Amino acid sequence: MSSVVSPIREPLVTGGKTYHQITEDLISPTERTPSKPWVIGFLLSVMTFSFGAFCIIWTIWHGIGTWDLNRTIGWGWDITNFVWWIGIGHAGTLISAILLLFRQKWRTGVNRAAEAMTIFAVMCAGLFPVIHMGRVWLAIFIFPYPNTRGPLWPNFNSPLLWDVFAISTYFTVSLLFWYTGLVPDFATVRDRAKGFRKKIYNFLSFGWTGSAKHWQRWESLSLILAGIATPLVLSVHTIVSFDFATSVIPGWHTTIFPPYFVAGAIFSGFAMVLTLMLVVRKVLKLEDYITLEHIESMNKVILATGSIVGVAYLTELFISWYSGYVYEQFAFFNRALGPYWWSYFGMMFCNVVSPQFFWNKSLRRNVLFTFFMSIFINIGMWFERFVIIATTLARDYLPSSWSYYSPTWVEIGIFVGTLGLFFVLFLIFTRVAPTVAVAEIKSILKTSGDQYVGKNLGHAHSHDETVSTEEAH
Amino acid sequence: MKDNTSNIWIGGKDLIKDPEFIEISQKEFAEPNLLENLGNQEVAEKLGGNRRDFLKFLGFGLGAATVAAGCDIPVKRAIPYVVKPDTIVPGVASYYSSTYVSGGDSVPVLVKTREGRPIKIEGNNLSPMTGGGTSARAQASVLSLYDTARFTMPQMQSDGIFEGISWDKVDETVKAALANANGIRIVSNTILSPTAHAAIKEFTAKYSNAKVVTYDPVSSGAILDANEQSFGDRVIPEYRFDNADVIVSFDADFLGTWISPVEYAAQWVKGRQIKDITNPKMSRHIQVESGMSLTGSNADNRIFAKPSEMGAAIAYLANKIVGGVSVPSLNDEAKASLDKVAAELQAAQGKSLVVSGSNNVSEQILINAINSSLGNIGKTVNFANASLQRQGSEVELNELVKDINGGNVDVLIFNGCNPVYEYANGSALATALGKVKTKVSFSQTNDETTNLCDIVAPTHHTLESWGDVEAKRGQLSIIQPTIKNLFTTRQYEESLLLWAESANLNSDSDQPYFDYLKNNWKNTAFATQSTYSTFDAFWDSVLQDGVFKVDSGANNAPGFTGNASSAAAGVRKPANTEIEINFYESVSMGNGQYANNPWLMEMPDPINRTSWGNYLAVPVNFDGVRAFDGFNGLEDGDLVNITIAGKSLTVPVIQQFGQMPGTVSLALGYGRNFGIKGDAVGVNVNDVLTVDGNGNTNYYNTDVQVGSKAGKEEYFSCVQYHHTFGVTAEEEGTGEIINADEAATVFFDYFTGVKGFQGSLTERSIIYNSTVADLKENVKDLKKRRDHAQHLNEQQIYRGYDENYEMGHHWGMNVDLNSCIGCGACTVACMSENNVAVVGKREVSRHHEMTWLRIDRYYYGDAKNPNVVYQPMMCQHCDNAPCENVCPVNATNHSSEGLNQMTYNRCIGTRYCANNCPYKVRRFNWLDYTTADLFPANQVKIADEDLPFGADNLTRMVLNPDVTVRARGVIEKCSFCVQRLQTGKLTAKVEGRRLQDRDVSSACMTACPTGAITFGDLNNKKGDLVKKNNSPLSYLVLEEVNVRPSVTYTMKVNNRDKSFDA
Repeated sequence: MSSVVSPIREPLVTGGKTYHQITEDLISPTERTPSKPWVIGFLLSVMTFSFGAFCIIWTIWHGIGTWDLNRTIGWGWDITNFVWWIGIGHAGTLISAILLLFRQKWRTGVNRAAEAMTIFAVMCAGLFPVIHMGRVWLAIFIFPYPNTRGPLWPNFNSPLLWDVFAISTYFTVSLLFWYTGLVPDFATVRDRAKGFRKKIYNFLSFGWTGSAKHWQRWESLSLILAGIATPLVLSVHTIVSFDFATSVIPGWHTTIFPPYFVAGAIFSGFAMVLTLMLVVRKVLKLEDYITLEHIESMNKVILATGSIVGVAYLTELFISWYSGYVYEQFAFFNRALGPYWWSYFGMMFCNVVSPQFFWNKSLRRNVLFTFFMSIFINIGMWFERFVIIATTLARDYLPSSWSYYSPTWVEIGIFVGTLGLFFVLFLIFTRVAPTVAVAEIKSILKTSGDQYVGKNLGHAHSHDETVSTEEAH
Repeated sequence: MKDNTSNIWIGGKDLIKDPEFIEISQKEFAEPNLLENLGNQEVAEKLGGNRRDFLKFLGFGLGAATVAAGCDIPVKRAIPYVVKPDTIVPGVASYYSSTYVSGGDSVPVLVKTREGRPIKIEGNNLSPMTGGGTSARAQASVLSLYDTARFTMPQMQSDGIFEGISWDKVDETVKAALANANGIRIVSNTILSPTAHAAIKEFTAKYSNAKVVTYDPVSSGAILDANEQSFGDRVIPEYRFDNADVIVSFDADFLGTWISPVEYAAQWVKGRQIKDITNPKMSRHIQVESGMSLTGSNADNRIFAKPSEMGAAIAYLANKIVGGVSVPSLNDEAKASLDKVAAELQAAQGKSLVVSGSNNVSEQILINAINSSLGNIGKTVNFANASLQRQGSEVELNELVKDINGGNVDVLIFNGCNPVYEYANGSALATALGKVKTKVSFSQTNDETTNLCDIVAPTHHTLESWGDVEAKRGQLSIIQPTIKNLFTTRQYEESLLLWAESANLNSDSDQPYFDYLKNNWKNTAFATQSTYSTFDAFWDSVLQDGVFKVDSGANNAPGFTGNASSAAAGVRKPANTEIEINFYESVSMGNGQYANNPWLMEMPDPINRTSWGNYLAVPVNFDGVRAFDGFNGLEDGDLVNITIAGKSLTVPVIQQFGQMPGTVSLALGYGRNFGIKGDAVGVNVNDVLTVDGNGNTNYYNTDVQVGSKAGKEEYFSCVQYHHTFGVTAEEEGTGEIINADEAATVFFDYFTGVKGFQGSLTERSIIYNSTVADLKENVKDLKKRRDHAQHLNEQQIYRGYDENYEMGHHWGMNVDLNSCIGCGACTVACMSENNVAVVGKREVSRHHEMTWLRIDRYYYGDAKNPNVVYQPMMCQHCDNAPCENVCPVNATNHSSEGLNQMTYNRCIGTRYCANNCPYKVRRFNWLDYTTADLFPANQVKIADEDLPFGADNLTRMVLNPDVTVRARGVIEKCSFCVQRLQTGKLTAKVEGRRLQDRDVSSACMTACPTGAITFGDLNNKKGDLVKKNNSPLSYLVLEEVNVRPSVTYTMKVNNRDKSFDA
C-alpha cells in the first residue's frame, strides 16, 4: 500500500506524508517571508558576486595582464574554474536524465535542485571562456555567422569552438528540462497564490490545468528531453577534455581524458549536490524528502566515480611510464614531485583516498561527515583541473621556458565572484520555485499496484514496522 | 496711429528713458551683429570677414565636412609630400651606408630609411672588418636617435637649472672663455674620426694651451702602454683569431665586449666550423677567468683563476713559454691546466694567439712576450692594420684631476663622455670641476658629467652627422646623415672649428662640416688612390660603399723589445681574502653609455639572462642530493648586502654556473642617475674601482664581504628560470656521477629519497652536442634518433600537409649552434625590425617579455665548470602547426609558402595557440605595451617616465611602417620577417627574374656577426639553406612531436679537452 515495495528498501519519503502535506511542505517556502539565514546568505552572496563583477571589469579594462599568467602558462585559474564549474553541472543532468531513464525513483528528491545547480554552474562556467579572451569585445568572432569577409568562418577544427557548441547546447537542454519539470509545480504555486503573484505564476505555468492530456504530453516531453540530455552527460565533458586531449603538450595529449573527465565531472557534481542539499534540507526542513537514503545513494555514486577517477590517475601514471616517451614521463613525474607537488598531493588525497571512507555504511549515512567530504571532493576536483592545466604548462618541452604561476587578487576575486553568483541564483531559486519537485515526489508516494487508501500512516520509522506492514498485505 | 505702447516699459532703463537704451532698442538686433563684431577684431580682419565671406566659409565648411564624412577613420599626421623629393618613393626603403660609432665602438652599417626616417641598422657586408655583422649596441643605436631625453637646443646652466640658449650665445660665451683661459682641456673617449682629429688639431693650434685628454669607459690603457714598451707602437694590434689554432684568453671577453667583438667573432667562428665530418678539426679555445663571460661561455675549456691570481696565471704561462719569469702563488688546478696549455701553444707556434683583458701593464708585457716567443707577431698579432678602437688611458684623467686641482684648467670641454660616472675617481673629478671656470659638454643627453657643466652644446646623433671612422689603420668608413637633425644641435667638430675660427670651415655653407670633411678626404684618402680620377666620382663611390681601404704603411711585425723577467715583478699579487669580486662590462650596457636605451636594457644578458639591472653572480654548488646551493645559501632573486672596500650595496643575486668558487661578479654600467632612472636599473660600482701603481683601473676588488639573504628582489627580471641541460655532478653517498639538474627538478620526494628522473632532460631532442673527439659516434647517434623520430612520425593515419609546400617557395631557416655565440645582436635587430614592444622590468619579471626571438642558454657538462650552448629560438613555422588547428577563429594559419602567419585583427586572445606551442615562442600582449589602446589607463610605464615609452611621437618615429603595431589582447610571434620576404619578391618581380636566396633575408640573419643564421627557400635545392640542412649535424628540435618545423639546427660541437677536468 505504501511507498514501500520491498522489505529491504527504505521508503523514499518518510514521515507519513499526505499529498496535501507535501504541497504544504514544499510550496510554502516560496510563500513565506525570507528567513534570517536566507537574508544573511543572500547579502553575503550579493557582496561576493559584486566583488567578482568588479574584478571582471578590472580585467577587461586593464587587460589580462592583471592576472599572473605568463608566456609559458597561458591558462591558469580561468580555465581551471571553467572546467570545475562545468564538471559540477554534470550531476544535475545525470540525475534528471540518466536516472530518469533508469527509473531510479529516489532521484525525485534531489533532481530539481540538482538541475538548478546545473544551470547556475554552467552560467558560472560560461563566464570564464569569455573573460579569459584578450579582446572580449570581439567574442562574436567565435560564432559562425554570415559575414562579408569572404565569408570567414570560425575554425571548426578547434576544440574551443566545439566547446562553444557543447556548452550552449548543454545549457539550452538543461534549462528546458528544468523548466519543463517546473511547469506543473508552478501551476500548484499559482493555485495557492493570489493577486499579482497569481498572474506571474499563471504565466510561468503556461496555463497548466492538470488535465490528463497535459500530464501525458508532459511525461513524453520529459522522456524526450531525457533522451537528448543523456548523451550530453557524456559529450559535454568529453568535449571539454578535448581542449587538452587534442593538444601536443605532454600531460594533455592523453586518450584517457574523455572518460576520466566525465567520471570526474559526475564525481564533483554529486559532491556539490550534497553540499547544497545538506544545507537546504536542514534550513528548509526537508529531511523527510531528502532522506538519509538519498544521501547514501549519492555517496555510493561518489564512491564509484571517485574510484573510477582514482583508477584513471593510476592509469595515466602507468601509461606515461609504459610509453617510454620522456616528455610524457617527465610531465607526470613533475606533477607529483615538481614545484606543484602540493596540488597533485591535494588532488590524490581528496579525490582518491578520501572517498574510500564511503565503503563504510555508517559513514555514508553520517550527514556531518558527508558534508565535510563533499567539500573535500570539491577542493580535490578543483586541484585536479589546476594540476592538469597550470602544472602541465609550467614545465613542458623546453626547459628554457619553464615558469611558475600563482594567481593575483583579480583571479581569485573572479573565482570567488562566481561562487557568489552561484549562490545568489540558488538562493533566489529557493524563493521562487519549490526546491523539491512536488509533482514528481507525489508520483512516488505510492507505487504501482498500490491503492491509496486514506492517510499514509508512518511506516518508515523502523525497518521492523515496514516489514510487518508488508506482511499484512 | 496712436502710440499706445508708451506706457509699457521694459526694465528700469526704459522707464527713465536712458538714451543708450533707446539707441539699442531702435536697432534690429540688440546685440551687435556677430560677423560685424568679429570684423572689429584682429583675427577677423585678417580673414576679411563679411557676409559674402560667411557664405564662402559656409560653403567650404559644408564641402569639407562632406569630404571628411566620406572618409573612414581619418589617418593621423600623414601628410603627403607637396613636392616629392626625387630620392624618396613612399613605401620603398632607401639604404645609406654609414658607420655606427660610440667612442671606440664602431661597426660599418647600412641605415634603412623609410620616408626620410632611419628605422633600422643593417651590417655593411663590404666592410673588411666585420663582413656585414653587427652588434646589439649597433642595432639599438637607431632608437637613441629618437631618445626623448635628448637636448633639443643648447643649454646654459645656472644654479642647477638648465635654460635653452641660442647657438650665437654659446659661441660668444665659449669663445670669450677660451680667449682668456689659462688651460683648456678637451676630455673625450677614443675618437676614431681622422677628420675630427684634424679639427681638434686646428683647435689646439689656435689655443696653444689646449690639450686632449682621452680615456675609454672601460679601459684598455695598459695594453697601449705595454705595446709602447714592447713594440714601440702605442696601439692595439690587429688580432687574427681566424689564423689561430690555439686561442688562450686571460679574462679578455673578445666575443662580447673587448675592443672589437664583432670583428673578432667573425674571425673566431671561422676556426670553429666542422668542415669535414670524417676528419673533424677545430681550433682550441681556452679561457682563464673567474666569472662566466660571453667568451668564456663559448670556450672549450675554462681555467679558474681569481681576479687577483690572473697576474700569476699569466706569469705562470709566460714562465713556461718564455722562461725566466717569477711566478706568484697560483691554485694547483690552474697550474696543471696551464702546463697543458703551454704544451699546446708550443705545438702551435705562429698559429696561436694569447690575449688578455688585463689592465695591468706588466701582465700585458708578459702577454706580448708570450706571443712574441710563440712567433705570433706578424701572424696572429699584426700591426699594419692595428686597431685604433682604444686610444685612451685613465692615467690622463688622473693627470687632468691634478691639473684642475693645481688651478691650471679654466675651460673643460667634454666630448660626449661621462667621466664623472665612468672614471674610478669620478667623485674626485666632480669635486675638482668646481674649480674650472667654464665647463662645456657636447653630450646629447644629460648625464652625471653634463649636469655639472655650465654650457651644453649638444652634438648630432651619429645618424644625423657627417663624419668618418678609422677603426683600424687604413680601414676607413664613412658616416653620412640619414635624417636632418631633429633638434637644434650642431656637430661637435663644427663647434670646435667655429671656436677655433678655422679658415678651412666655411660657416656660410649649408653644411659647413660636410665641406670640411670632403676637403679632408680630398687631401688624404683621395690622394692615396688611383682608381678614380675625379674626387666627385671617388666620393660617390665612398658614399655608396661606406668603406675605403688605404695602405697604412706601418710595420706589421715590430720586434719585441720588452723584458719579461722585469715585468713579472709588476703583476697582480694574489690576495688571500675569502672572496673576491670581478667587475665586468656587460654585452648590452658597456660602462653605462647605453643605459638610456630601452632596447638594450630589455635585452637579457646573454649569460645570466637577466635584464633591467645588474645582478651579483654567485658560484653554485650541487649539494649531492637535489639542490643547487648558491654561495652563502643565496638563491636567484635574493637581495644581498655586499660591502666592497667599505661601500655597502644591496644587489639582487643570480646563481651563476661556472663562477669560480671564492669569487663573485657584478656588471659595470648600471645605477645611472640620468636617463632611465630609478631603482629599476641596478647599482653603480664604478666608484668602488681602485687604481694600481701605474694609475690604471683595477676591475676587481679583493676587499669584499658578501652577506646572506637580505630580502627578495621585488621584480626579478630574469627570462630563464631553468638554466641547465644535463649538468653532471657527484651524488652524495654513492659518489656516482649523476645528472644534477635532473635531480634538482624534484621539489618534494615524499620522504622516499628519490633522486630525480635521470634522463628527463638529456633525452629530449632539443640540444645535441658533441666534442670533436666524439663527433663520429655522436653523429651516428643523432642519425639513429632522427630515424627513430621519423619512423614514429610515419606511424600516423593523417596524410600531413607536406605536399602543399612542394611548389613555389617554402621558407625555412638554419641555425648553426656551433656558430652562435649568444651575443644578442639578432634579438635587438628583431625588436627593431618588427616593432616588438619594450615592457619594462616589472613585466619582464612576470615573464611578459615580448621578444619574438630569444636565445636560450643552457649549461651542460660538468656542473662546476660547464660548457654553454646558445640556442636562438623563434617561431619554427611548423608545417603541421599545433597552434593553427586550435585557434577557434582562424587567426593563425598557414600560408602557401609555409609561413605560419598571425592575423592580429582576427585574434581574440584565447592564448590556446601559445599553450599548444611546444617551443613557447608565442607572445601575448598582456597589457597595452604599445599604447595602441583606447584607454590611457592601460599603458605600462617602464621606468617612471612621464609619457609611457612608445606613446611619444618622437619614439614612435622608429617604428617600421611595414609592420603592424599590435594592440592589447592579441598574440604575436616571429613572422620570418614576412615584410622583407614581400620586398624581396617584389624586387625580383620588378627585375623580371626568379627570386634568389640572396633577395630575402630575415633581420636576425643580417644582424648576426658570425653567420649562424641562414634563411632561404627550402625548395631551392641549390641554395645555401638546403646545403646546410643536408649536413649530418643538422636536426629538428622536438622532431618526434611531428609538428614539422621549418627551422633546422646543427649540432653544437666543442673541442673540450677532458683531461683538464681530472
